[in-house]
Amino acid sequence: MNGRIIAFCCEHSAYPAADLAGKLGLHYPETLRIIRVPCAGRVDVIHMLRALEKGASAVLVLGCEDGACHHITGNIRARERVKHCDMLLREIGIDGRPVVMFNLSPNAPHKFVKAANEITKIIKESREAR
Amino acid sequence: MEARIGVFICNCGGGMKNIDFDAAGAKVAKIRGVTCVNLISDLCLEEGTEKMAARIRAENLDKVVVAGCSPQFKEHVFRNVLENAGLDGHLLCMANIREQCSWAHDGDVTEKAVDLVKMAVYKARLLRPVEKQDIAVDRKVLVVGGGFSAVASALRLSRVGLRPTVLEKEAVLGTSSEELQRFYGFDVSSMIGAAEGDANIEVLTSARMTAAKGAAGDFLVTIMREGEEISRKYGAIVFATGYRTELALDSGLGLPAENEAVSGPKIVSQEQLFDMLNDPFTDTKPRTIGFVFGFSDENSRFPTLATLNNALAAKKEWDSEIYVFCRDVEVDSEGVEKLYREARECGVVFLKCEALPRIAVDNGRIAIEAEDVFLGEDTVVACDLLVAEELLFPTEGTAALSSLLNIRLDSRGFYQDENVHLYPVASERKGVFFVGGCRGDLDMGRVLTDISSAVMSIDKLLSSGTITAEIERVKADPQKCVACLTCIRVCPHGAVQLGRVDGGKEIAVIADLACDACGICAAVCPAKAIDFQGYRDDQLLAQIEAIGES
Amino acid sequence: MIIAERKPMEEIKQAMALYKKVLVAGCGTCVTVCWAGGEKEVGILASQLRLARSAEGNEIVTLEATVERQCEKEMVAELEDKVAEVEAVLSLACGSGVQVMAELFEDKPVFPAVNTTFIGMPQKEGLWVEMCGACGDCFLDRTGGICPMVRCAKGLLNGPCGGTRKGGKCEIDPDKDCAWVLVYRRLEKQGRLDLMRQYYTPKNFRAVKRPGRVQAAKA
Repeated sequence: MNGRIIAFCCEHSAYPAADLAGKLGLHYPETLRIIRVPCAGRVDVIHMLRALEKGASAVLVLGCEDGACHHITGNIRARERVKHCDMLLREIGIDGRPVVMFNLSPNAPHKFVKAANEITKIIKESREAR
Repeated sequence: MEARIGVFICNCGGGMKNIDFDAAGAKVAKIRGVTCVNLISDLCLEEGTEKMAARIRAENLDKVVVAGCSPQFKEHVFRNVLENAGLDGHLLCMANIREQCSWAHDGDVTEKAVDLVKMAVYKARLLRPVEKQDIAVDRKVLVVGGGFSAVASALRLSRVGLRPTVLEKEAVLGTSSEELQRFYGFDVSSMIGAAEGDANIEVLTSARMTAAKGAAGDFLVTIMREGEEISRKYGAIVFATGYRTELALDSGLGLPAENEAVSGPKIVSQEQLFDMLNDPFTDTKPRTIGFVFGFSDENSRFPTLATLNNALAAKKEWDSEIYVFCRDVEVDSEGVEKLYREARECGVVFLKCEALPRIAVDNGRIAIEAEDVFLGEDTVVACDLLVAEELLFPTEGTAALSSLLNIRLDSRGFYQDENVHLYPVASERKGVFFVGGCRGDLDMGRVLTDISSAVMSIDKLLSSGTITAEIERVKADPQKCVACLTCIRVCPHGAVQLGRVDGGKEIAVIADLACDACGICAAVCPAKAIDFQGYRDDQLLAQIEAIGES
Repeated sequence: MIIAERKPMEEIKQAMALYKKVLVAGCGTCVTVCWAGGEKEVGILASQLRLARSAEGNEIVTLEATVERQCEKEMVAELEDKVAEVEAVLSLACGSGVQVMAELFEDKPVFPAVNTTFIGMPQKEGLWVEMCGACGDCFLDRTGGICPMVRCAKGLLNGPCGGTRKGGKCEIDPDKDCAWVLVYRRLEKQGRLDLMRQYYTPKNFRAVKRPGRVQAAKA
């Protein structure tokens, strides 16, 4: 795979935010591939690891803002899992292929675009550093 | 057998100019499992859906991929098309090539569009139907509490044809509703009379809920009444357990509770002042009265109303000098602006302060000292009577009740009112609602809205006597489940319980009516026993694989 | 239930260094319940291993399988075909499961991927605490059903150490309850405080013959 970024998007927040970004013509890197999930809490460590195994250059998990998760604890659990996944990657010395969680609300397309751009920047920087 | 997947590509009436649809269609046709590719303009319009249904039948398709707009937008339309064509709605997978592809990028994005369709096809191969069933629900509703909100809810529920039970722990209804009667003019006692006389409403006093099992439409509640245990079935539960108040003396005003001025009649609550004003036998006539409110809670609508009413009455009755220390006077409830103007006109002085006033007892009088925001200097007022700020607390037993139903409380111990997704009166458990003071809100306008919306939701849930539910969309495989209880501990909707299927060994059983399909259980299951149709592990991994191959 | 936790990755990686194709084998009983070696952990460990090796340019092929109980020969035997395909087995079962695997497939090296830590129970979601030391000489009946040998930081057999903190907390870890205070309260509730006065002679651990054997009555 050619530097794809896989973004798991919660259908209550990030997915509509991404839709809105499109509607407003806000651009983000074309390398982003969105997988729709019912809640960020559905995304497990294995999904993030497999994404990297299949060649993704980064994984985003996008969930609702703190305290606004439709399923109460889904976003908190997702954050914990992202942290755990990050630990697993550091354990095996993989850096430069970040797994990152962002929180946003469905009416925050700018935040979605910012997350996409930020992760692209991180990847680029770590690639240049090597 | 290989799936027969039909791909329908919509160009949204020419709204996606940076995709070469013919080229895309040709590439999509080569993806394994794709039986036919159909380019149809305006797929979601009547003509388009008819064509789509016809193609599904003609090609004998068993899975469908629609590439076009966002599933958030039209998924339900296409699901209907599938169902009309004799396929289960869950056998549809959408590729969002409009919002998340064509519109999001400049330049030709044909390749990305094909990638997205490929992801959808990979997932579609693994889709399985989800059975729907009408589940009978109980039309009885349990209303916990016996105050204004509870009685009003019961009356409204009875009016829409449901059968409420009012469960009150005291011996009579309405024991702490006087305040409403005083400040809002609601005739609570005649409401209670109406409820008690209503054949649809059952009133259980001196009774408590001690256990609750089951899910929306089918709660099994155990009630203790005078030492006797009663078991009842309810379709929904409404909490209207109210609130209690305490004078905010210890917490901020700096006066020890044992202070003589506190134990004496000099520092009172709004309610005590009201009683003093209406006591025909009293001869106390405080010359100066100080009111303090609005420093402990952002929402000061109720204290504002109480203060205005009491201040006006004290002016009239005693002709006292009145000083009100507050952070904000909230006048956005109905009629309050008028009261406020009246109060100003008859000489009530309002002092806006940011910091909590300091209170000292001096020569038998109470000195209130605060920095007035507008004057910019300290103001000291010596009063004969201080009407102190009251803190709002949930009633005793709120925590116990919430743990019976596994419902979270907010940071102040009230029923949670912090999650913007769970519309005000609903809880994280389907079929459980909160109204009135137990949500920590005393604004009457909002309380009435609460009652209406709770009754509306319950009506929608129970009035037909059945709920159409998706059966086993999320299910623990009895072969794989090791009953580790992880999912039961993590389910935010209280939908998973330990149970036996057909008398087998104990496993996690997910109640279809209570499940809100978040998939948290599927993610945490250490035995990978939980399948969530539409978001199964293999379905998510198939999408990842498709991206990997692109 | 037997509680285990995953070994440090460095150790696992080193163990696997020589091999190109391995079987990652989970167990569906105790270690699944304590999130250490069930199907989910098998998937994660295998994926992590593949990622690590592919980053080194030294790819590894992993097979994944989870049996209901790795401590049962009959159940482990189901893995025969898979084991035949690989050079080594990485087992996420408790020590007992690892040994059954090793015994059954004598020609293949079997590596433990978890450390078997204790017998315990879940305190809350994702947290397990030790409850039983498997001493082979249970005297829970005399301590109100609380084992001071395991739950007292010092493993004291005859009453608290004297360092108990206010509120009945442990001298060594103020977050933990003093086991002997728990014992006292429990016996008090049962009206059996006289048991606190009894002196117990030091336990004779030699009574537990190694290796331990338990023979049930013939069924």
